[in-house]
Amino acid sequence: MMWSRALAGVIPGFFLSAALMGLVCWSLPGPWQATLVPGILGFFPAWMIVIGASLFFATGVRAWVWLSASAIAATGALWALQALQWIS
Amino acid sequence: MKIKSATLRTFTTLHTWVGLVAGFALFVAFYAGAITVFHHELQVWQSPHAAGRPQQSLADAQRLLDETLQRHPQARKHVGMLFPGGESPHSVIYWQDEKGTWLYATLDDLRGSEKPPQAALSELVNALHFSLGIPVAGTYLMGIVSLLYGVALFSGLVIHLPKLVQDLFALRPGRNLKRFWQDAHNVIGVLSLPMHIMFAVTGALLCLFFVTMIALNPLVYRGQLMAALPAALDTAPTVAAANVAEPAGKLAMWHTRSVQAALQKGQLAFEPAYLKLANAGDRNAVVEVTGQSPGALGPLGAVAMNANTGEVLATQLPGTRDANHATIASAYALHFGEYGNAWVKALYFLMGLGGAFLFYSGNLLWVESRRKRRQQEQGRAQVNLARATVGVCIGLCVAVSAAFVAAQLFEWLAQRRDIDVATGIGWVCFVGWGLCALWAAQRAPVRGAQDLLWAAAVVTLLVPVAHGLATGWWLWRSAAAGQWGLFCIDAGAVALAIGFVALARATARRARLGEPNSVWSERSP
Repeated sequence: MMWSRALAGVIPGFFLSAALMGLVCWSLPGPWQATLVPGILGFFPAWMIVIGASLFFATGVRAWVWLSASAIAATGALWALQALQWIS
Repeated sequence: MKIKSATLRTFTTLHTWVGLVAGFALFVAFYAGAITVFHHELQVWQSPHAAGRPQQSLADAQRLLDETLQRHPQARKHVGMLFPGGESPHSVIYWQDEKGTWLYATLDDLRGSEKPPQAALSELVNALHFSLGIPVAGTYLMGIVSLLYGVALFSGLVIHLPKLVQDLFALRPGRNLKRFWQDAHNVIGVLSLPMHIMFAVTGALLCLFFVTMIALNPLVYRGQLMAALPAALDTAPTVAAANVAEPAGKLAMWHTRSVQAALQKGQLAFEPAYLKLANAGDRNAVVEVTGQSPGALGPLGAVAMNANTGEVLATQLPGTRDANHATIASAYALHFGEYGNAWVKALYFLMGLGGAFLFYSGNLLWVESRRKRRQQEQGRAQVNLARATVGVCIGLCVAVSAAFVAAQLFEWLAQRRDIDVATGIGWVCFVGWGLCALWAAQRAPVRGAQDLLWAAAVVTLLVPVAHGLATGWWLWRSAAAGQWGLFCIDAGAVALAIGFVALARATARRARLGEPNSVWSERSP
């Protein structure tokens, strides 16, 4: 049961961390290229914390559902804002 | 913060398992990493004549550059070289041949070889550090270990959080040994947490940078990441050759111009360390001079110039560089302790050994907390983990010291007949390590631990002896000549040997006098 939760942190958590990092880096002033290296550096602790924090979910199913939904929402928001060129 | 006890238990399980799995690899990374801090000093220590030879001049380096460009057309496309200076008194030049293999040349060996000169020992220790010595896959493995390391830190923090402040300075010696080890593990873990977070994050970055970029490119960067990389990582603009010959500028001019350009950007003591030259002999020749600016967290900065005219094209120097260059320079310097003076390096060495101890103590804690108190016979898993900890961890200490001794022996032999020093050192290290692990697997953990600690003490004590016998640079001669790099390596070996003796004696005392119902006891009840 613990491993199911941790795995939720690893797989959907990867996409969630990536999308959150993307939202922060693309929203900052200036072109996205300017925060390329800090973004990739910051992605690692974000992912580590998501993997660890996934254990706060009560069950594996909840962890998978919540983290997957958040990952889809965050990635969707990032891609929509990028496509609309509201962030660059 | 209130955390449910069931949640705390899962965090403890996660911390235990992640810690055990990653702990062995992290012990190797920290022990070898502590030594890798002295990368440059090791190269001088290994080469028989480096310490006595005078430093090369820019004219010597110019001769090396000219000869290389003339002999190896492939180097004209792209070539890198070290300025002769404090860290590397002798210039080395390197380029890729048609197949993409890196070749290294010096004034002594203008033909070029696939192995950097006299760097076999430092390369081996570095390879142990970042890949456990496993080619290709080892780097990714250590990247995953870095991620697990971060997760272990986070879960350890959550477990300890409710009592973190009260227990911070509680180190309770006494009858309850498990409590004592737990206190020691906690206090070292909390006080060195900033260092551990830094290593977990920069370690993951250094090992997984390129694979992560491939994964994040479509997700976050709309497939445009690779096109943006050169500007984010290099200083010189990428320029194609014009295919019009034009005489190139000289090293001395690049050296002077880069120092001037840095001075204009407020860097008063920029010291060129290495250069990258593209399109040598062409009208579009570009040179990028990287150097150290003391007093910056990321001391490495670069000046890019037209290699023929010396016109400055771009700079990335402390204080004026962009976020990408500032981050990569600082992450690199933080990881390798390359900011500040020799004390920072000494501190990194001690922190590296302290980190290795944290992982070792974690394993001991696992064994101790599962000890069967009422019977002498201990569980199979406890005995096996104790054996593995002894064989892998202490075995590595023996193997690294054996590689040091072998480096001196093989360099001495190499001056008399044709032998491959690098391969020899590698064999001694890995076969030695394997034998130690086998020895530990055959013995009771308490016997194996004492045997290997004594072996580590003896072999480590042989390090300065082998160096003295092979090169004549005995400790006192290094000290008298002001060769502090050599002195510190030999003196450090003596100090480590004393440490191993102390640990061996402590283990023996524990075996004789400690509680009998334990894998560490030799007493019959």
